[in-house]
Parts: sequence; structure tokens; C-alpha cells
Amino acid sequence: MNQTELLDQFILEARDCLEQIGQRLLEVEKSPTDAELLNDLFRLVHTLKGNCGLFEFKPLERVVHAGEDLLDRVRNGTLGYSNDMADALLDAMDFTAQMIDEIEQTGAISSAAEGRSQALATALRAHLAGPAPTAVATQSAPADAPVTATAAATTAATTTAPAATPHVTPAPAWMDRIPTTLLERFPDAVVWRYRPEPECFFKGEDPWLLSRQVPALKHLDVGTQGAWPPVEEADCYQCNLDLVGLSDAPIAYVSDHFRCVPEQVEVIALSALRPAPPVAAPAPVPVATTTPAAVATTVAPTLSVAPGGGQAAANLRKRALQMWDDQIALLSRSGIAPGTVAAVRLSLQGLLRATADDSAALHLTTLLALPANASAAAVGQWAAQHRPTGEAHGDASNATDHPDGLDVHADHPASDGSGLPPGTPPDAARRSSGDDGGHQKVLKVGQEKIDRLMDLIGEMVVAKNALPYLAQRAETHFQQRELAREIKAQYAVINRIAEDMQHAIMQVRMLPVGTVFQRFGRLVRDISRKLGKEVELVVEGEDTEADKNVIESLADPLIHIIRNSLDHGIELPEARRKAGKPAHGTIRVAARQESDRVVIEIDDDGAGVDPNRIRRKAIERGLIPEDKAATLTDTEAVQLIFLPGFSTADTISDLSGRGVGMDVVRTAVERINGHVELSSQFGKGTRLRLSLPLSMAVTNVMIIEAGGRRFGVPMDLIVETVRVHADDIHHFKQAQTTVLRGRIVPLRALHGLLALDDTPHLNEEGEHAVLVVRFGSENVGLLVDQFHGATDIILKPLEGVLAGLTGFAGTALMGDGSVLMVLNPKELV
Amino acid sequence: MNRVLVIDDAATVRMYHRKILGDAGWQTDEAINGLEALEKLNNQPPETPFDLYVVDINMPKMDGYTFVRELRRHPSAMQAPVMMVSTEAQSQDTSVAFDAGANCYLVKPAKPQELVLTAALLLGDAAVALKAAEGVRA
Repeated sequence: MNQTELLDQFILEARDCLEQIGQRLLEVEKSPTDAELLNDLFRLVHTLKGNCGLFEFKPLERVVHAGEDLLDRVRNGTLGYSNDMADALLDAMDFTAQMIDEIEQTGAISSAAEGRSQALATALRAHLAGPAPTAVATQSAPADAPVTATAAATTAATTTAPAATPHVTPAPAWMDRIPTTLLERFPDAVVWRYRPEPECFFKGEDPWLLSRQVPALKHLDVGTQGAWPPVEEADCYQCNLDLVGLSDAPIAYVSDHFRCVPEQVEVIALSALRPAPPVAAPAPVPVATTTPAAVATTVAPTLSVAPGGGQAAANLRKRALQMWDDQIALLSRSGIAPGTVAAVRLSLQGLLRATADDSAALHLTTLLALPANASAAAVGQWAAQHRPTGEAHGDASNATDHPDGLDVHADHPASDGSGLPPGTPPDAARRSSGDDGGHQKVLKVGQEKIDRLMDLIGEMVVAKNALPYLAQRAETHFQQRELAREIKAQYAVINRIAEDMQHAIMQVRMLPVGTVFQRFGRLVRDISRKLGKEVELVVEGEDTEADKNVIESLADPLIHIIRNSLDHGIELPEARRKAGKPAHGTIRVAARQESDRVVIEIDDDGAGVDPNRIRRKAIERGLIPEDKAATLTDTEAVQLIFLPGFSTADTISDLSGRGVGMDVVRTAVERINGHVELSSQFGKGTRLRLSLPLSMAVTNVMIIEAGGRRFGVPMDLIVETVRVHADDIHHFKQAQTTVLRGRIVPLRALHGLLALDDTPHLNEEGEHAVLVVRFGSENVGLLVDQFHGATDIILKPLEGVLAGLTGFAGTALMGDGSVLMVLNPKELV
Repeated sequence: MNRVLVIDDAATVRMYHRKILGDAGWQTDEAINGLEALEKLNNQPPETPFDLYVVDINMPKMDGYTFVRELRRHPSAMQAPVMMVSTEAQSQDTSVAFDAGANCYLVKPAKPQELVLTAALLLGDAAVALKAAEGVRA
């Protein structure tokens, strides 16, 4: 495992989170009081932020963090959810998505993002400011911290801090605001003073909330920075607070808590106010004296030889002591579970062993000697009595005579507060071990791996098709009938496995169309708001599955269609009311599977397409001659919108009408072997119907013969195969036509189209083989020599020089080793 | 060899923690929420229990607090030390974490050495602890 892998994982998960966040945000807008939903949303943002923190992506983390704070308050019910807030959050998530893309491409965030990041974070925090705490003194106190609201000037307490003689750091005057009893009760606590700047509300800060949320808060005193001005002159948007508190948490936690406003906060560990005693620390609990014998006997070799061991050992000792105190604190809590007591004992053992303290061995034996069912109080008492002195071998071995630096408390200066710096990337892997492969329920695999697998299966399908030919050769060429039969039997087995395998891999690539539909909620919301229209989006059949490639190439055409519906289809609310429709329009996107195709229908109940307007515009733009336009039926006229360069918009709007219209949709859909149909009722609405293949991996083709050669024609283009008697073919100048099912169908000879030096053959009955294929809404008959069966092939597009031959969709390798050219009739005719 | 179970709903964090703790020489496993972690420890053969749990707080299905409370009531696995690792957004949670029965609380993201040092101290691994302590800012 290495750094890149972690980053890849980060990107993957971030995208996942973002997608879900986007979805939840829209859902929350519909039901803003759904606590479950809000929690879910918060957790997603929280996860994202946590992940960002692992790397040093400051601009990213800042924005996500602001979003998290905002959602946290919405979730707590202290802030109401609003549309503007949703806008800010959506913007922030868009930015985050961009950053993720950038990180994926370059591995870092450019400095250009800094500005936007700050702007977005400020925008988010502006919502936080919501109800500004202007009347702090009247707010109720948090249950766990007694609050005394006193003006700084009138502080009554005159006693000095108990342990503040003689000073190491002089105790600041504001400490008077903390009751002496508390200072005595929590000798290792941290005191802090927070003087928010007057303009802080405009930065989205909430000093009151921030102060109340200080970890392990024991006391909070609210004062003022200056005297309050008269009520009529007071500016309620200016912060005049002076907050002082006492916390039992380690100084690092407290400093970290205030990390956003470090210059406005003083944090002091009470221990730093005490002098460093020359020999023994004035520990609040009796310290077991160390026995010189233990020093002599229990020497840990790693400690004495380790380079820089002195400093490391000191760090270790300090940390161990903090944790030791944590364990004591843990035991003093009420109603603790027996498991907790056991866990504390185990942790204390660990601490003793890990510190290799000189007294550790002795302590360890006494700890183990405690009865197994010792109460929390008993263990707590033991822990308090046996609190390590902090003397370790690393120091002790060379400093036995002058054991200074023993005092662990002196190791807590206020400047030490920065504590745990965030976002340090992990070291390069020293050795990778210990991974015993925790199972996961979902496996994420890069697409190229699946594609590779798909290619291999394709090759295998073709390779296995060689077996029947081999069997045939064994029989006819080598007269080995027995062998031929065995080969055939074996072929049947391989064939079945290969088909199952192919099917299974295709299943892996299947995605629900919902993955594309998800984006529409946001799209419809944004655009309808911008246009001042009221639109409801109804999505059906999101679970319908199709190949990933199909799904992905669907996104753009669908977005285009929906934009069109929003822009041209749905009318403004008043226009709708006048037309006797409900003020809000509806766009329905429905997907379903029909045999081996996915059908997606997009309906709107908007204005529909005006065939006369289409005719007019088409003539205006010179797309069709005027006389032809007049002969078109309304249904046919409507199809004109698929022509390249067609646009009915009189003014070019931000959204559509730039001349790239429905032809782009059609091209995109046809590229993946799909087709699109439009039907519209003027005044009532429009329906677009997209029919798409389930999978692009395997193409079903019909094999036909012309001029002694075999060609494939994609099955989805074929309408029917018919035999037409030569007498039924009408010749008109160069053109040939025939009448099929009451419709005139133009006929073209494939031979001519492919420039084969041959003419279409007739069968014994004097009939032509006609393959009727579909071109949009029109049918064309191709004259061929003979029909063969249909088969599944793996279509490979033409490469290199041949790629210019647009008349061919590609090639496929057949089982007998021959190559089948697959036609692209659309380009051919 | 010591065995550590990393419980976090964020895959990236799981990977990060497992890499760091794995590099320190311990065996690691993971669970995506408290419920899965309980299942995992119940399916553990008694001779190879988890020696340490590294637990996130905010997780779907079962959060970190609930998991620790359940763990502390567990008939056979209750005594394993727990290290809570969570972001400061819920810093008031230190207290709740201790109430639930966690042995220590680290602010996420924790520096690798910080994480390893804390884990090593709880596991009683002197060599690893000393090595990690070199990198911890005093």
C-alpha cells in the first residue's frame, strides 16, 4: 500500500460522498424536517471532511468544514434549512467536485482555488450567523457547566489562584473570574479566555456556541470587553463579549478547539502556573517513591541505546502520563461498566509495559495482584497511588544524580497547545504487514480492469468457435469420427461456460439508469428557478439496468432533452394558468426494459411543438425548400427539429438555442446504436422516446450475402426481411421502388452501394432478397443475394486508414477464423 | 502479534489507519460500523481476540459510543482497550466517549506517530512506542 493508493481511495470515496450529498440536499429541500435524512447528510459531509483532513487540501477542507458546521446546526435544530442555504451548499459541493477532479489530474490543488474556497466558506458561514447571540446573558446555561454572567469590571472574587506562588508563568488577572474551588478541584485543568473581535459575527463566528462546546467544560464565565453602551445606541451586531472558562480536557484539545480564532484566545494549563520543583512534583496524588533497586535491575536495552532516545523517551513518558490520568478520570465516572474497569486495568498494564519505567515492573506486579473483581474505586485508588513519576531509563541512566526535568507538569507550557497538527500525510510504507484482508461487501474495481476482462472473454468466445471447425476437420480430413465427437462434446461444455462467463461480466458492467437520473433533480431545480418556472420532476424506473457505456453516453443527450423541455416546453406559470393547466409543469422521465432494449421516455406537459412554426423556421434557415415544407404532415414536420442547425428559439438564451439542438441528441443516441423518436401534441406536451441497446459489448447482426461475400448488418436497424418478385419492382429513372404493406419503399442494390462487380441475384422463383432497414422514420430496402442467420459478435471498430471507411461499422472475427465486415447502412445509402 | 480492529465508515480513513498501524507491526482488520464490528468480534476465535479497537464516533447503523458501550458489556471481549478517533466537530464528545468506556480520545486526523504512540502505549509495546515517540512533537 502506498500514498497513491490512499489518494485514489480518497478520490473514489469523495466522489461517492459528493454524489450522495447532492442527492440528499435535494431530498432535504423536499422534507427539511426529516431528522434521519439530515443526519445522513451530515454524516456524509462529515466523512468527506474527515477524509480531506488526511491530506493537506486546505481549500477543500475549509469549504467542506464550513458545510459540516452548517449542517450540524441544521441537524441540531438550531438553524432552519432554507433554499439559499441549499444554494450555498450545492455551490460548495460543486467546488469540491472540481477540486477532486483537479486532485485526480494533478495530485494537488492549485493556489488559484484559495480565493474561491474562502469565498464559499464565508458564504456558508454567513448562514451560520443566523440568530446572532446578541443577548447572551439571558441565554440558558449548558447543563454541564455552571455559568455566571458577571461583568468583568464587577468581578468579586479577590482570591488569587491557589497554586500560583511562586509563578512560573504569572497567573493572568482574568483567572479571578474562575472560582477558587474549581481551580483546586481541577489542578491539571486548562483555563482559557476568549475575546472575540467586534466584527466576528460577520465572519460567521459564534463565540457563545464555540465557548459552550469547549471539550470537558467545567466553568464558563461571560463578561464584557467594555461597558455596554446605552440600549438605544448599542449596535447589536458588534460583539462585546469576554469569555473565560475552565476545562478538564488536555490543553491540546482546547487549543485545537479554538484553532479558528487563535489570536483572540489565551489558553493556559494550570500546571504551567506552578513552579518546577527541584526533586519531586507536587502531584495531586501521593506518588510512590521509586526504589533505587528497580533502577538497577530493570534496564530496557532499547531505551538506553536508541538514538535521540532522551527526547523520544521524554515524549513517550509525557504522553503515557496524560493517558494514565485519563484512565484515572475514566474510573472516577459514575456507573461505569465492569468492562471499562477491566479495560482500564489492561490499559494501565500497557502503559506500564510501554514506558518501561523503572518502577513499572514493581507496579505491574501490584496491579496484577489486585483482585480480578476489584471495583472501579479500588483500581482508581491504585492508579492514583502508583502514578509513574515520569522517570525513565533513557534519562535515568545518565541523569540519576541530577534528576531534574522530572516534573511532568512543567512539560505543559501553553505554547505546547497546538497538539495534534492535522493533515500530515503518512510516511512511505516501511513494510506492509498485518493486512489480513478484512472482507468488504462491495468491491470497487477500475473500469479498465473490467474492460480487459470483457476483451478477453470476447477473444475466448471467438476462439471457442474454432472448435466445431476443428471437429469437422478431424472427421473429414483425418477420418477421426470418434475424436470429432469428443471435440464436439467438449465444445458444448466450453460454449456453455463461455456464455455464462460473458453474461456474468456483462452483469458487472450493468448500472441502473438512476445513476444518470440523479443529476436531473439538481438540473431541473436550478434551471426552473432561473427561468421562474415551476416544474416538478417525476422519475420512474430508475432501477432499470444497462451497460455502463450506454448509461454514460446517455447523460448528455438526456440533459439536453430536459433543458429543452424546461426552456421551450414548460410555460411560465401565468401562461399555464391561462391555458387551463396547473401552474407547475411536470417533466416525467421513465425508463423500462423492452426485450433487449432500454426505453427511456421523457414527457412534459408543456406547450408542445407547433408544426407550423417548425415549418416556418426550417424554411427560414434554408433547411428545406418551401414547397416541400407544405407537403409535410404535422408528424413529419415535427421531425424536422432533428435536422442539424435547427433552433426555434428567437433569442438565444443561456440554456438552449445556440443552434446545437436535437440533432446532437440524435447523433449521440445513434452512436450507441439507439434511436430517438419525438411525438408532440401542440398545446398539450411533448414526448421523446429513446430506445437503446442493453449492452454495447455484444452486437447482434444478421449475416447477408452479396456478390459472393458475406456482410453483417446490425439487427437493431433491420425492420424485416422479405422476398420481392422482380415484377413487383418499379423502375423510375434510376430509382427502384416497391410497395410493402401499403407503403412505398425505395430499393437500393447493395452491390451498387459497395461497388461490387455483380448484380443482385434472383432465386428460382424469380424473387429478390430484400432487407428492409430503418433510417430514422423512413425505411429503405436493400437488395442482397441471400440471407443467413443472425449471430452475436464482438464488434471491433475499424482502425488506422480503414477508420475513414464510414460505410462499415467495424469488423468481427468469426469462429472459423474469417473476418466479417459489418455494414453501417446509414452511411452507405 | 497484537490485533487491532479499525472501525470507521470512511474507507479512506480505514485505509489510512490500517496502513499506519500495520506498518507499526500489528495485524489489522476493519469494520464499517459498530454493528459490523460487533459481528466481527463475535466471530473471532477466542484465542485471537482483538487487542485494541480504534473507533470512529459518527457512523451509520451503530455509532462509536454504542459500540463501546456494547463492547464493555461483552462477556468475553469487554476488557480490550478502546481508542476513539473522531473529528473536533463533536469535541464535546470527549466526555461522552469516556462515559461510554473509551480509554482515550484522539482528534482526527491524527498524525501517524501520534496514532502509533497511543496505540503502542495501550498495547504495552515498548519498542514501537519509543520509535513513534521520536516523531511526536514535544
